[in-house]
Amino acid sequence: MMKKRFGSRHIGALLLLLILALIPVIIRNTYIQTIFILIFYTASASLAWSVLGGLTGQLSLGHAAFMGLGAYTSTLLLVNANLSPWLSIPIAFVFVGLICMLLLSPCFVLHGPYFTLVTIAFSYAFLNLFTNWDYAGKGQGIVLPFGAEDFALMRFKSKTSYFYIALCMMVLFYIVLRLIDRSKLGYGLKTVREDEGTANAIGISPLKYKMIATFISAGMIAVCGVFYANYFRFIDPEIMAESQAIEYVLPAIIGGIGSVTGPLIGAFIIVPLSQYLNAALSSVVSGANLVVYAVILIAVVMFQPTGIMGWYQNSKLKKKLSGFFDNLDRKLGFDKSQNA
Amino acid sequence: MATLLELNNISKSFKGLKAVNDVSFSVEEKSITGIIGSNGAGKTTLFNMISGVFPPTEGTVIYKGKDLASVKPYQYSSIGIARTFQIMKPLKHMTVMENVTSGALFGRRNIKSAKEAEEYALEILNFTGLYERRDVLPGSMGTPFKKRLEVARALATDPELLLLDEVMAGLNPTETDDAIELFRKINERGITILLIEHVMRAVANLCETVVVMHHGEKITEGTPEQVMNDPYVIEIYLGKEDETDG
Ligand SMILES: Nc1ncnc2c1ncn2[C@@H]1O[C@H](COP(=O)(O)OP(=O)(O)O)[C@@H](O)[C@H]1O
Ligand SMILES: [Mg+2]
Repeated sequence: MMKKRFGSRHIGALLLLLILALIPVIIRNTYIQTIFILIFYTASASLAWSVLGGLTGQLSLGHAAFMGLGAYTSTLLLVNANLSPWLSIPIAFVFVGLICMLLLSPCFVLHGPYFTLVTIAFSYAFLNLFTNWDYAGKGQGIVLPFGAEDFALMRFKSKTSYFYIALCMMVLFYIVLRLIDRSKLGYGLKTVREDEGTANAIGISPLKYKMIATFISAGMIAVCGVFYANYFRFIDPEIMAESQAIEYVLPAIIGGIGSVTGPLIGAFIIVPLSQYLNAALSSVVSGANLVVYAVILIAVVMFQPTGIMGWYQNSKLKKKLSGFFDNLDRKLGFDKSQNA
Repeated sequence: MATLLELNNISKSFKGLKAVNDVSFSVEEKSITGIIGSNGAGKTTLFNMISGVFPPTEGTVIYKGKDLASVKPYQYSSIGIARTFQIMKPLKHMTVMENVTSGALFGRRNIKSAKEAEEYALEILNFTGLYERRDVLPGSMGTPFKKRLEVARALATDPELLLLDEVMAGLNPTETDDAIELFRKINERGITILLIEHVMRAVANLCETVVVMHHGEKITEGTPEQVMNDPYVIEIYLGKEDETDG
C-alpha cells in the first residue's frame, strides 16, 4: 500500500542528507552554520512536540518546560557530578519523560483548549520553581564550565561539531517518528486524536496512549534540551516560558500538523525567516518578529489549516514528483510491484 | 441456545431524566435481535450501557455470565463486544483502510504488526464492500458508505456481539437490501447481532426477536409478527407513523 521498498525516493532523501552534511565543508561562514544548527535543533524539538501534539492531537504549550527540564538535568549533572552530557541524554529522556507523564496524567481527561491551558500552567510552575531554586542557580541561570575542547564533555570550539550533532539528532528523531507513525503505537495515538469514543470502542485506552505519547514526546524534547545547554553553554529559567514553546509548535503547524515531515519543512522555513526578521526588524521595533509569527499563524490556521504537507498531499507537485520517482524506480530496476 | 447477553432491570438517569427505566431482556447466542422505538425512547442510551460508554444507574449487564460493572470502557472490545455509533465517528484524517486497520490492531484480535493488520483489514474491506474506497478519507464518502465503514471497523475487532445503532437510517431501498444481506453474512459468521432500527422491513426481515421501547421503558418483546400486531405497539409506534404518512 503506502509502504515502498527501497527505491529512488530513499536515494533522493539520502542525497539531500549528504548535501546537508557537506554544508560545513562547503560553506565556512560560521553565521550560516549557526543558522543550520538552529534549524536542526528547532526541527528536532518540533518533531518531539509532534508525537503528543501532532500524532496524538494534544496541543501542548508546555514543551519549552520539558525542554528546559532536560537542559537543567544535563547541566546539573555536569556541574555537580561531572557527568558526561552524552550519558545525560538517556537519563534526561527517561527522567523528564516520566516526570511529565506522571504530572500530566491527571489532566488527560481535559480536552482541547483546557488541556493546553494546563500545559501553560505547567510551564509557568516550573519556570517559577527554577527561578527560586538556589541549587539550580535561581533566576541568574547556570553557565556551563568553559575549557579546552573535550568530546566526552560535548564541548567544542568550532560550530561544525555541534552542526553534526544537531543534524544527527534531527535525522534520528525523524526516523523515530516515521517508525512510530506506521506502527501499532501510531495507529493507537492517531485513533485517540481522531475520536476518543471510537478509541474506547475498538479497545484503545485514551489515557494509556496519551501517557505513552507524553513520555516519548517529553523525553525527546528533553534530549533537545541537553543539546541546547551544551551548545549555548548557558541556561536560565526563561527557556521554559510558554512563549518559547511557540517556537517548537510553529514549525509543525506551518509544515502540517499531524504530518511527520511537516515539522522538518516548517523549521527550514520559519527559522531562517525569523533570523532575518530579527535582524531586519529588531532595530525598528523590538518584538516585531512575534507579530509576524502571529500573522503567519493566523494565516495558516485560516487558509491552510493542514499546513504545507496538507496542501502537498493533494497537489499537482506531488503527482509530478511521484511520477518522476516511479519512473526512476523503473529505470533503476527497483521492484516495487511486490505490494498487493 | 445459550444466553449471550442479559440485561437485568437496568436504568439510566441524566440529571433526573430517566432515559432508560427498568429494562430487562436477554440476547441469545448467534441470534439477531432488534430494538425499535420512537426517537428519544432510550435505545442509544441502552447501547451505551451495553458497550461500556457509561454504567447503568441501576441494574446489571451480564455478558457470558459475567457482570460487566468492573470492565473498563476500552476493554469491551477485547471481551468481544463491538458497536457502531448512530452519530458516526469516523477517524476523519485517516483513510478508510486505516480506520479498519485500527480496529484490527486492537479489539479481540490484538494483532501486533501493522502489516498483518492491514492484510486482515483488506479482507474486511472486501467483505463489507469498501475495498474500492480503501484509500479515500471517510469525509469524501456518502452516508451509506460511512455507515458501512462504522460496521467494517467494528467487525475488524473480531466481535462476538455486534451492536448496530441505526446503520440503515437514510439508505434507499436498494442500499437497505444490500445492508440486510451484509448483516445476514455477518450473522452467518457466528456473530450475534443486536440492532436498533427504524426500518421495519429490515427488522422484520432480519430479527428473530424484537424489543419495543417507549419513553425509556420496554413495552413488549416478541417475534416481529407478534410485536407488530400488539395493539399497544400499533397505538404508540405504528399509529404515529400512519399519522405522518397520511
Ligand atoms: N449523554 C446524555 N446526557 C443527557 N441526556 C441524554 C444523554 N444521552 C441521551 N440523553 C437523553 O435520553 C433520552 C433518550 O435518548 P436516546 O437513548 O438517544 O434515544 P434513542 O436512541 O432511542 O433515540 C433523550 O431524552 C435524550 O435527550
Ligand atoms: Mg438513538
